[in-house]
Amino acid sequence: MPDGTEKPYAMNFGAGIYFDGMTSARHEVGVELTPEGLKISGHDGRLWAQWPYDEIEELAAPDNMLRLGRRGSATLERLEIRDPAFAAEIDAEAIHVDRTGALQRRQRMRVIGWSVGATASLLLVAWFGVPAIAARLALVLPVSVERKLGDAVDMQVRGVLNTGKNDAAFDCGTAAAEMPGRAALDKLMRRLESVAALVIPLRTSVVRRHEANALALPGGHIYVFRGLIDKADKADEVAGVIAHEIGHVAHRDGTKAMLEGAGLSFLFGMLLGDFVGGGAVVLAARNVLQSSYSREAETAADAYSTDLMNKAGGDARALAVILEKTGGATEPGTQILMDHPETKARIAAINRLAAARPSAPLLEASEWAALKQICAGS
Amino acid sequence: MASLDAGGIATSGGVRFLGQRRYYWRLLIRGAALLMVTLGIYRFWLVTDVRRFLWSNTEVAGEALEYTGTALELLLGFLVAIALLIPLYAGFFIAALDLGILGKLTGILAFAALAVLGQYAIYRARRYRLTRTIYRGLRFHQKGSAWAYAFRATLWWTTTVLTFGLAYPFQLASLERYKMRNTFYGDLAGSFEASGLILFLRGLPMWLLFFAPLALAIRVFIGLDWQALVDAVAQGGDDVMSKIEGGNPGLGSAIVFAMLMGGASITLAALLYPAFQTLILRWWSSGLRFGDIEMRSHLRMRHVYGSYARFVGYASLFSIAIAVIGTVALVVADALAGFAKVDASGQITTTLVLLIGYVITALGFSTIYRATVLLSLWQLGMESLQLSGLSALEKVKARGRPSSAFGEGLADALNVGGY
Repeated sequence: MPDGTEKPYAMNFGAGIYFDGMTSARHEVGVELTPEGLKISGHDGRLWAQWPYDEIEELAAPDNMLRLGRRGSATLERLEIRDPAFAAEIDAEAIHVDRTGALQRRQRMRVIGWSVGATASLLLVAWFGVPAIAARLALVLPVSVERKLGDAVDMQVRGVLNTGKNDAAFDCGTAAAEMPGRAALDKLMRRLESVAALVIPLRTSVVRRHEANALALPGGHIYVFRGLIDKADKADEVAGVIAHEIGHVAHRDGTKAMLEGAGLSFLFGMLLGDFVGGGAVVLAARNVLQSSYSREAETAADAYSTDLMNKAGGDARALAVILEKTGGATEPGTQILMDHPETKARIAAINRLAAARPSAPLLEASEWAALKQICAGS
Repeated sequence: MASLDAGGIATSGGVRFLGQRRYYWRLLIRGAALLMVTLGIYRFWLVTDVRRFLWSNTEVAGEALEYTGTALELLLGFLVAIALLIPLYAGFFIAALDLGILGKLTGILAFAALAVLGQYAIYRARRYRLTRTIYRGLRFHQKGSAWAYAFRATLWWTTTVLTFGLAYPFQLASLERYKMRNTFYGDLAGSFEASGLILFLRGLPMWLLFFAPLALAIRVFIGLDWQALVDAVAQGGDDVMSKIEGGNPGLGSAIVFAMLMGGASITLAALLYPAFQTLILRWWSSGLRFGDIEMRSHLRMRHVYGSYARFVGYASLFSIAIAVIGTVALVVADALAGFAKVDASGQITTTLVLLIGYVITALGFSTIYRATVLLSLWQLGMESLQLSGLSALEKVKARGRPSSAFGEGLADALNVGGY
């Protein structure tokens, strides 16, 4: 194919096909390169069009054809040139026609540059922006909204946790034999809650799950699994875990996590589109991001627990004791409380924070015995 | 194939596809790589490139089609669609928090609303694509109401689901009639002449082949002693399973039989799918009309099977490559994690390796699918067409304005997009 170094107008006349954009009729035309522009005329001498060189644009076409249009034209008039030599002549004259593709490549590189930039900015937003927004939003969210949110989550969580295999009710502390245990728990909760002085009233339930675990939902709902009470040797161990969960409530961690989840799934799911059916990508990205959020939240809740236990006069180190006991648990589902690969580091941190000071158990021995029986059944 | 050289128009003619596979592969692979580094933002440019390639390499009666849409239009349409969907999603989220009847119904209402919206988007997106399609210096366009289409399509889909797919041929015919009678090439009105009943009769054997094993399985289950089963479950106790077994000696084998039949059904569906696709494509394209221009398709089933065979071949090679590379990557990531002591960062590295692996795999399969099956279907579908009544092409007049890309954006955001 000849390049632009050839002498201009080496071949200033060629054949083409012209569509006037008004009708679908196909016109065989002669095309002349004049100093003013392209002159398109029919074999009968009729002048179809005259296009100045700077108004000619190149349009998508198969490889064997140069398809031209007129920029800013009200109609879709088209000129098709099949002769490669003549096409090269036109290319040399018309500044917006660029058959080497250099112009297009430059535009493409710009697009790629901007999209990569946008991607980096989105990742930064996901990493720093979403948690920051969620944290601020969670703190200003009215308690009534947070409770509503919590109730909605509560239904879901109950559905997941309650496998319905038990003969007895899912909640402990309802049957007659369990009442003293419930009373002991209420006493413990009153003690902790009065020291904690939260804006959100707490609701605590002990449920029939054999894992040694506990979890806090948005809106102040705390679930303690019976497995945890079974594993604990002292009331303060249970109290330490509950204090940890109260920390989550006080820090609004559940609400933050929900808002973060919503923000991330919006960012990755909707904005980026489903280019590979990527629900799974969103989920995995969320897990990677959220597990790094939750690590900080766990450390903060541990600190809160030691502080609260100290203020309540209990043994702040009891949390470390029960962590040690359950940290090695391999049962499925223990992830919720034990979502911490660095259990050892946590135990060390708790022991560092919790000053060795004299403490009195938060429950009497008889009350602790009753709490142990909270899931004894009817 | 009667392609023309000079002068007037032959009264009948064919469609040629001039595109080169090699070029298309390159376009798709480069696109997939860019999709990955831009987390998908590049898709507007990739889709535009793909359409430009397909359109301009398709030559109808000697003249190539032209696609004039741009990626920026698509991006803009997408942003507008997002601006509309954010308040909608926020509304659903708030409604879902309501504990009353509203909260419980939100899921269903949201699903229904998004389903209708998806059909609306499909119709609007079709309008965008048509008005960006130029042939012989004139554009196509589409009239009709996208909402009317959306409600029609939603009703039809509901009917099709309720009839286990038996209504599908009639759905296709009815929706296609609506689309085509609102489709114009310049001032030449389109129409759709294929009959749903014919497709129904031709497709019925396939439907029977698919549902017969399932029906057999259900029959065996109906034959069981259900009363004994209910009693056994009601009694409860530790050995419910053995009681159920005792009361129903046939249950175990019935379950095995049902699983076998389910497997047979799925296998048959996979094997018959290319035939099903051929049937529909041939039926559909033979029903298309523009004024006096009629189309007839001679699509061959074995060609379609051939394109699927190529897909399976490439996909197998790709799977082996991914398995080898993936294993190496995981071992390396594991070693690195062990080196940096097992902590949070090690876990994140492994997750990221898996994540990237997943994205590469998914993009790879989608690229292979596009370059084999989808390209072949386009090419075969086009090249098997025979057009008659082409003299109408001499005197079509320009009509219609380009429409916005909002529909494309909405379809993209709702994941109901097409080519």
